[in-house]
Order: sequence, then C-alpha cells, then structure tokens
Amino acid sequence: MITIPRLHLISDSRLCPLDQFAVVAMRAVDGGVDAVHVRERTVSSGQLLDVALDLRDRLQGRAKLFINDRVDVALLSGANGVELGEDSLPVSGVRTLIHARLLVGRSVHSIDGATRAEADGADFVIAGHVYETASKQRQPGRGLAFVEAIAGAVSIPVIAIGGITPSRAREVVNAGAYGVAVLSGILAADDARSAARNYAEAMGIGR
Amino acid sequence: MFVVNDRVDLALTLDADAVHLGDEDLPVPEARRIVGDRMVIGYSPATLVDAIQGERLGADYLGVGPVYGTSTKSDAGEAVGTRRIAIVCRSVSIPVVGIGGINAANAGPVIDAGAAGVAVISSVVAADDIREATLALTRAVQSATSAE
Repeated sequence: MITIPRLHLISDSRLCPLDQFAVVAMRAVDGGVDAVHVRERTVSSGQLLDVALDLRDRLQGRAKLFINDRVDVALLSGANGVELGEDSLPVSGVRTLIHARLLVGRSVHSIDGATRAEADGADFVIAGHVYETASKQRQPGRGLAFVEAIAGAVSIPVIAIGGITPSRAREVVNAGAYGVAVLSGILAADDARSAARNYAEAMGIGR
Repeated sequence: MFVVNDRVDLALTLDADAVHLGDEDLPVPEARRIVGDRMVIGYSPATLVDAIQGERLGADYLGVGPVYGTSTKSDAGEAVGTRRIAIVCRSVSIPVVGIGGINAANAGPVIDAGAAGVAVISSVVAADDIREATLALTRAVQSATSAE
C-alpha cells in the first residue's frame, strides 16, 4: 500500500530560483513536507532531468518526488510520480504508459474534472485554487465549499491548493481535503523548515 | 513516418515512429532506455564531436544545420553550409538529414554533400501551394540522389 503524501511543496522559479529550490525543498522536508513537486515549464528537458536527478539523490526517499507534466523525465529520474495539468497528457494515456510504476496526480478545477480524473485512474487530485493567490491574480478563490464538493464527489484523496496558510490548512482538512499543496507559504518564507512545520502541525501530521 | 520533437512521453503515447532530440533535450541513451528498439531516435548535434558521440550513444540518424540561413529558428546559429554536411557525413555512418533554409532550388547540393535527406519548415509550410512545394522538393532530392 503506497501512502499518498499530505503536505506538498511545489516549485515556482518566480518565488525561488530553480538552482536554489533543492536546498529550500530539503529544509521544507525537515519541517514535514512529504512530497516535492518540480513544476517548471520553461526549462529544457535536459535541465529538468538534471534537477530531478539531483532532488532524488538528496531526498533519499524521505519525501516523494513528483514531476509536473513530463512523464519521460519522471520515469528516467526515478521520481515517485507525475502531476498532470489540464493541458498535459491524459491520465488514462499516462496510466497505460507507466502501469502502476508511478503515482499520478491530476490538477482539477471543477467537480467534473475531479470525477473524470478518478475514472481515468488518477491516484489523487490537486484541487484549486481554494483561496485568492498571487500566482492566479484577479481570479477569486473557489472557497471551502469547493473543497467540500470535490471531496464528496470522489473517493481518491483531494489535495487543496491556492493561497493556503497554516490556519487555512486546518480549515480545508476539516472541509474534507486529505492534504494541501503550498508554493509561496513555504518558498517565500524566511525559514522553509519552520514554515513547513507550521503547516504540518496545523494539519496534525507532526513527526 | 511520424516524428515527435523532444517529448519522449508524448511520442510513446501517440505511438510515434520516431522521437527527435535536440542538444538540450533528454540525452539519447536516456531516451533509448524508455523507447527501446521500437522507436527511431533522431539527434541534432551542436558540434562535430557531438555528432560522433551521438552515433556512438545510439542515435539512428542526425539532423545537421542550419545549412543555409533560416528565419524560422532564432536560436539556430550561423549557417554552417553544405561543407559541414560533408564533414559530418564522412565522420559517421548513420544517415544525416540537412535542415535550415532548404528549398527546392538549393536542396540538391545538400544531397550532393552526402545527406540522406532534408528537413524543411517554411519552404513547405509558408508556400502558397503546399502540395506543389513538396513535390518540387521531392523531385530535387530524388534527382540529386539518383545522380550520385
């Protein structure tokens, strides 16, 4: 039985340059992050593979490594899974490609999207954005009701994303989310470890 | 033959015939680990050393250019001319495909230099009559090939 991680850190080179991400991610793992996602759409495939291999070596299995969009890079780097966006390859196609070797997470923005992801074989969904966030400016958050609705519609774990602070992490978990995904809350913090610990404690997953 | 650029995962999902890798894409041996023998791998080396290395690492063919000046690709670098084609062709035994600024009028010398074929973008895609432009290119390549 593979455990789905509950506290996900997602890279964003606007908040933390890619060459510094591994160091920040390791501190976040010290604080309780159990999944690290590399989400960089602008770097070359070769560079992406190098970043992924470096992270896998540093993580040593202490947190699961996910690669956004690129199934080939995920396979070659020995990552634990892929995170697919709405413009990525379809979950069902990816599942055929990798069988059960990798976990498949799918970003969703509606109940329809979530139920489709589950039917297509996703292991979990990342649902958002729940609150207003700097990374998705001018779009109001979908709110706690959105989390409740998705969690009620699918039986796979729901990871909430978008403007989530530690206190909001508790809120979304109470609303039915299995976990949360964080960008600026950890990447823009002075101390990634204590920031991560605040999330873990709020969600009751302290180690 | 259906070739997908860069994305090995996409090539596999689409059951493509080949994947083409650039200098900054996944390394050829890594791509080979995923696709095995079921897919042709093309590689665009940046230098002559890369070309020789690419063959040794398992590339099935090489894309070499830009042969002539091109406006399609801003990062393609300076035109290397048919001379580079000739040098690469002498250095490797896998097929070489010329690319960059090639059209029906100048495709012949690329084949004469030793290329097995040519790759084009604008001379077909931007042509008024795509079918006619493709036929003209095919004729130019065939007549240069049979003249050898």
